[in-house]
Amino acid sequence: MMMTANRLRQIGWGVVLGICVVSFAILSLTVHAARNEVLLADIKIVELKKKQQRLETEFQARASQHQLAAWNRVDLGYSAPRADQYVDSRKQLASYGQDVRPGGPSPIRVARADGARDAAQPRKMVSPVSGQPITLASADLPQSAGGAFTEAFGDFLIEASPIREAKAQGSTVLVAEAAE
Amino acid sequence: MTSGARAIGSEQPSLFDVVPDLIGTRARAPKPHHKPASRSSQPHKVRQPRPARHYAARETLLQMRDRVLLNARQRVFGLVLAFVALALVAMVQIVWLSVQGSGPSNRPSVASLVPKRGEITDRNGTPLARAHPSLSLFFYPDAMDDGGSPLVRPPSEVAAKLKGIFPHIDQAEVEAKLAAGEATTLIPNILPEQANAVWALGEVAVQTPPDQERHYPQGRLGAHILGRYIGAKDSRDFGIENALNDHLTGEATRGQPVELSIDVRVQGALEDEMGRGMRLAQAQGAAGVVLDVDTGEVLAMASLPDFDPNRISEEDAENTLNRVTYRREELGSVFKPITVAAAIDAGLITNLSKRWDATPVETPGRTYYDYEDKGKVLNIPQALAYSSNTVTMRVAEQLGSARLRRSLMDLGMHLPPEIEIHERGEPLWPKLEPDGEWSEITTMTVGFGHGFNVTPLHLANAYAAMVNGGIFRPATLMKVEPGMADPGKRVFKASTSQKMRQLLRMVTKYGTGQNANAEGFRVGGKTGSAEKWVGTHYSKTKIISTFAAAFPMDRPRYVVVVSLDEPRITKAMAGRTAYFNTAPIVGNLIRRTGPMLGVRPDNNRVVDLSDLDRLMKVGQ
Repeated sequence: MMMTANRLRQIGWGVVLGICVVSFAILSLTVHAARNEVLLADIKIVELKKKQQRLETEFQARASQHQLAAWNRVDLGYSAPRADQYVDSRKQLASYGQDVRPGGPSPIRVARADGARDAAQPRKMVSPVSGQPITLASADLPQSAGGAFTEAFGDFLIEASPIREAKAQGSTVLVAEAAE
Repeated sequence: MTSGARAIGSEQPSLFDVVPDLIGTRARAPKPHHKPASRSSQPHKVRQPRPARHYAARETLLQMRDRVLLNARQRVFGLVLAFVALALVAMVQIVWLSVQGSGPSNRPSVASLVPKRGEITDRNGTPLARAHPSLSLFFYPDAMDDGGSPLVRPPSEVAAKLKGIFPHIDQAEVEAKLAAGEATTLIPNILPEQANAVWALGEVAVQTPPDQERHYPQGRLGAHILGRYIGAKDSRDFGIENALNDHLTGEATRGQPVELSIDVRVQGALEDEMGRGMRLAQAQGAAGVVLDVDTGEVLAMASLPDFDPNRISEEDAENTLNRVTYRREELGSVFKPITVAAAIDAGLITNLSKRWDATPVETPGRTYYDYEDKGKVLNIPQALAYSSNTVTMRVAEQLGSARLRRSLMDLGMHLPPEIEIHERGEPLWPKLEPDGEWSEITTMTVGFGHGFNVTPLHLANAYAAMVNGGIFRPATLMKVEPGMADPGKRVFKASTSQKMRQLLRMVTKYGTGQNANAEGFRVGGKTGSAEKWVGTHYSKTKIISTFAAAFPMDRPRYVVVVSLDEPRITKAMAGRTAYFNTAPIVGNLIRRTGPMLGVRPDNNRVVDLSDLDRLMKVGQ
């Protein structure tokens, strides 16, 4: 009985050692295979970098400064911007909408300004193409659900809507509703 | 281990043979001494002496035990050793992989990305010169490897066929190379279709291995800065390619691109505007430079006519002359502000409203007049705005040779300009008198920029020092990181510099530089139209027209110098002086490049000229 146990133990150790050796060999082969894959990927990266460099050089050559200057001057007729084409600040930008002369026309009124003033009861949004009223999916939902919906999909709807100006107002309203 | 077990088994009774004895011994073993006290009163059993066989067996048993223990230890040790060896192999492999395999620099594929010659880029990383894959024509005589002739056909026939593919080659030279039978490059940088044609010849020894050629993606842009000229017969490197050759080819350094201070957008605009101005004025040549006044960095430097470093060109050989750093000319009136600055700095001019005699200056050989008579007396702002020769001559006369020379030497005008490239022209100075100074008339002519030859780069450096607060810094073509600029040396007082900003601004606002007054950029500058020395005398029709400017004058950041060689009066140009040709070039250039350089035009910002404005109106 003892002999068997001892022998078994010997065999057991041998098996463990064997398993270790085989695992090690497998691991080594795997590592080498992975390493070779890395090297192949590396070679591919370098090839791509070379290709990229060639393309970059070609683009640079085709769009050289002389070529751009010729296109700007001859084909496009561009010239350097004048000093008065630069805007320094928002105030300066806003000042373009106001005529300082006595009796001058009233400032250009932006659609958005009206909407902001009348935010409590916004006008119905209509499609600029068909003139039909537009209803956002969340507008008729109950308040709580509307709030949750707005939180979850508000941004997405704003992005998805084809009507840029209208949806900006709509989002304000929706958020305001959600806050209530 | 197994052999050890076998040895024990063969010579001694095995462990299993003596086990029953061991069991029996244990069974008969005396009881421990610490018996309960209650039993101590019981009479002792008399222990029977053990038989000799029993003792022998016990001894054998002990020996066996030791051996078994030793054996077990050996096995365990061996097993541990095997595991340690395995772990060691794994460790060695890990170390080997980490040292040998994974370092990016050790990877041969990455090493192939390092070019044979380093890349040159502008300050924003746009490549100006780089290695481009190409093919070369190579003769490899051992290719056939049969001990016979390396070529299928005779060398003369092969050379003739190659001449058919490459018309520019010297057929006799190629034939000689083929006949010599030594491995050599026959033609560098051939085209793919030429390589195909060579392949079709069927000569195994004539090969087209991959190669690298130097390519300049921007073509002619900055050709004089980069400096690669390929002629049909001779090719040479100058400019940066020559000056930084060691850096560009060094094993350790060629992998990193060389960043120049040049900005390709500004360089392109400068060359474009200069080329246009040159064509309009039908000038022989043009030179231009844009310099950062605080760091000395050259943002753009152009010399026209130029050449294409990518092409083989014979007729452009003379165009390699760098007119900015090498060609010296009398630059004329653009020197007047330097004379005035020296006089203000020396304390000679303390009152700008002082009236100076503006009548013609009589000298033994010549009488000097103003270009346009603006009155018998002029103050300093008027003298500069109207570019009065006579007033400047009288200022120089009073300043004296010693102080004027000292100022010019402080501005580095007695030495070739300081810059990395080797094409630097030595200034031509007037002869000194026996007393070691210039004569009075020489001092006066130098005062308004005649009899004294320097390069446009000298002038740009001097203007930078004049407007940046009085600090002279050498020019550089290498990008300067923020805070790493050369500290420079003080050549003018800060107050002098401040005054010069105003005066130069006056010239573009009221005087000869009005055509350079790009709206909103607060440009200040000075025109200069110098008669050209044509060997024996000054030409009456050939001039060097120069405009030196700085902007924005409320806080100068850049100096621009543009010079035209022999501009003419054409339908597009009403005159040949700087007012008509170079001043508009500078104005257009500033309009185009100012925003790129971080200077936004602003009509609400002005240089305070309130104290000088009234001086311009005196006597008018």
